[in-house]
Amino acid sequence: MGIKNLTKLLGDHAPGCCKEQKVENYFGRKVAVDASMHIYQFLVVVGRTGDQTLTSESGDVTSHLQGMFFRTAKMLEVGMKPVYVFDGKPPALKKEELSRRVERRGDATDLLTEAKEEGAEADVEKYSKRTVRVTAQHNEECRRLLRLMGVPVVEAPSEAEAQCAQMCKEGLVYGIASEDMDSLTFATPKLIRNLMKPQTQNVPINEYDYDKVLAGLNLTSDQFIDLCILCGCDYCGTIKGIGGVTALKLIQKHKRLEDVLTSMEGGRYEIPDPFPYEEARRLFKEPDVLKGDSMPQLKWTTADEEGLVQFLVGEKSFNEDRVRKAVQRVNAAKSKSTQGRLESFFGPVSVKTSDTGKRKEPATGKGKGGGAAKKGKSGVGLKKK
Amino acid sequence: MFEARLTQGVLLRKLLDSMKDLVQDANFDCSSTGFALQAMDSSHVSLIHMQLRSDGFDHFRCDRNLSMGVSLNNMAKILKCMGNDDVLTMKAEDQGDSVTFMFESANQERISDFELKLMDIDSEQLGIPDTDYSATVKMPSSEFARICKDLSTIGDTVLIAVTKDGVRFSTNGDIGSANVTVRSHSNVDKPEEQVVIDMQEPVALTFALRYLNSFAKATPLSNQVIISMSKELPVVVQYRMEDMGQISYYLAPKIEDEEMDGDE
Repeated sequence: MGIKNLTKLLGDHAPGCCKEQKVENYFGRKVAVDASMHIYQFLVVVGRTGDQTLTSESGDVTSHLQGMFFRTAKMLEVGMKPVYVFDGKPPALKKEELSRRVERRGDATDLLTEAKEEGAEADVEKYSKRTVRVTAQHNEECRRLLRLMGVPVVEAPSEAEAQCAQMCKEGLVYGIASEDMDSLTFATPKLIRNLMKPQTQNVPINEYDYDKVLAGLNLTSDQFIDLCILCGCDYCGTIKGIGGVTALKLIQKHKRLEDVLTSMEGGRYEIPDPFPYEEARRLFKEPDVLKGDSMPQLKWTTADEEGLVQFLVGEKSFNEDRVRKAVQRVNAAKSKSTQGRLESFFGPVSVKTSDTGKRKEPATGKGKGGGAAKKGKSGVGLKKK
Repeated sequence: MFEARLTQGVLLRKLLDSMKDLVQDANFDCSSTGFALQAMDSSHVSLIHMQLRSDGFDHFRCDRNLSMGVSLNNMAKILKCMGNDDVLTMKAEDQGDSVTFMFESANQERISDFELKLMDIDSEQLGIPDTDYSATVKMPSSEFARICKDLSTIGDTVLIAVTKDGVRFSTNGDIGSANVTVRSHSNVDKPEEQVVIDMQEPVALTFALRYLNSFAKATPLSNQVIISMSKELPVVVQYRMEDMGQISYYLAPKIEDEEMDGDE
């Protein structure tokens, strides 16, 4: 579920770390996608009215396939090369957070029944979203779909974001597509948010640069991890009364989480017990990931039109025309040679800032405003599984 | 303090019109040597490099180097308000947050001041190596603009192939294909109409027409355009303004993609 309020904190204190981008500019880029999180989002968002979701004729939910198919097709069409990374076994520390989510889901199920009886439509929608669960079958169907589309799939040993971050660090991919801010805690060099949002929503894509995050907050990478733990991450409980701003101040003052905690002793803050920050820190620094040669080779192949039609139309009641057209667009885009970028000829880009004038408003303004707007929309989206 | 006076103010307007489609915001670098700009489009496919030498201005003063962040679109809008024969003066304080454009009509009867707020922006820069290009084509700029426009009706990309006696522009699309060949020829009476090809080895590269059409917006700046190409390098499309400077556009070529090949 990410780091609490990190988006807002970065918007306010490190405005230069986030750049708006257009989908078209990602042509030729390899991007690692956190599959599990997006499947969850698709289940929540795609084709939902009230507690009804998209289903095939036999009643199986197909929202995840719908979302996955058309979004992936769009990415391939602009010439991106996505690679999907699936979650493996969650680390032991996350169990507590996960069990809390199960509990919340339980509550939501009760509330949903209640709302249905009362006929409160808004509530039905709200609670039914909260009851969404990604099953092994959903994941398996998505894997099958991706294989048919010729898109590589990677199985992470543990957390998908950590695996994505590792791939990005090794230069296997340009950046990672996730909405989850803890990707940055895993030191992802480039985090791309809103890449998978439908274009009709017209949400600008935000690209976070890890080095600029550290520079903006004036922290080392270890201190940044400490900051995230202090803000509240998936692995540790949260300290009541500590938000992003306070956490940043404390880390900047005391430099280390240990010292922050010592300074709190006897104070007004209650540190939850247990607060396994050392273990959390280790998980962020040395997560269980596939490295170097243990990574499977990534290959992109031509989409299998007949296979897709048989799967999506035959088994899942998709509209044949739409599926065929999307596949044809993808394959047409693949046969084209791709546009080169100037960096590949002239070397890396350096940044030059103006000597005068005001920082352009939208850069900071949107960071804040966008953060708030996003919260409303993806408040559900950020919870995964 | 930066101050520059240009009798032919309209030149700057033409420059802005030739850049604003590719780049939204950019930093103008003012130094004692002149007024320059380097900027890339957001996808990093093309780059603009513009230079106006200080001795090309009627008056030029720049006490310390200054990098002014400007919205090119807004600056172009302001320059639209300038008369065709007006004299232009630009002024900016070292610590100020705006730049002033003053337009004086030729007979001094009308003087207008426009102030543009500056912005603090990060512009992305590239170090462009000096290259000896293997083929250079000098041709009428209007001819180049017309070819790019004509070929766009058929396709999205153009293959530019330079040989000893000519340069061929070809494209194909869903509706058909097109080829335009321009032969080298000299014209002593009208040097602006000649086509001069200087070639060490033949070169053929493919480019997106969309960008070339944007570059061709600089056609009013110069009668001739110089196209320089080398194998597997970005093309340079340059427009030279006599006694004043130049604007060059760099465009990365299309490349064959080895990883998408389904047979791997």
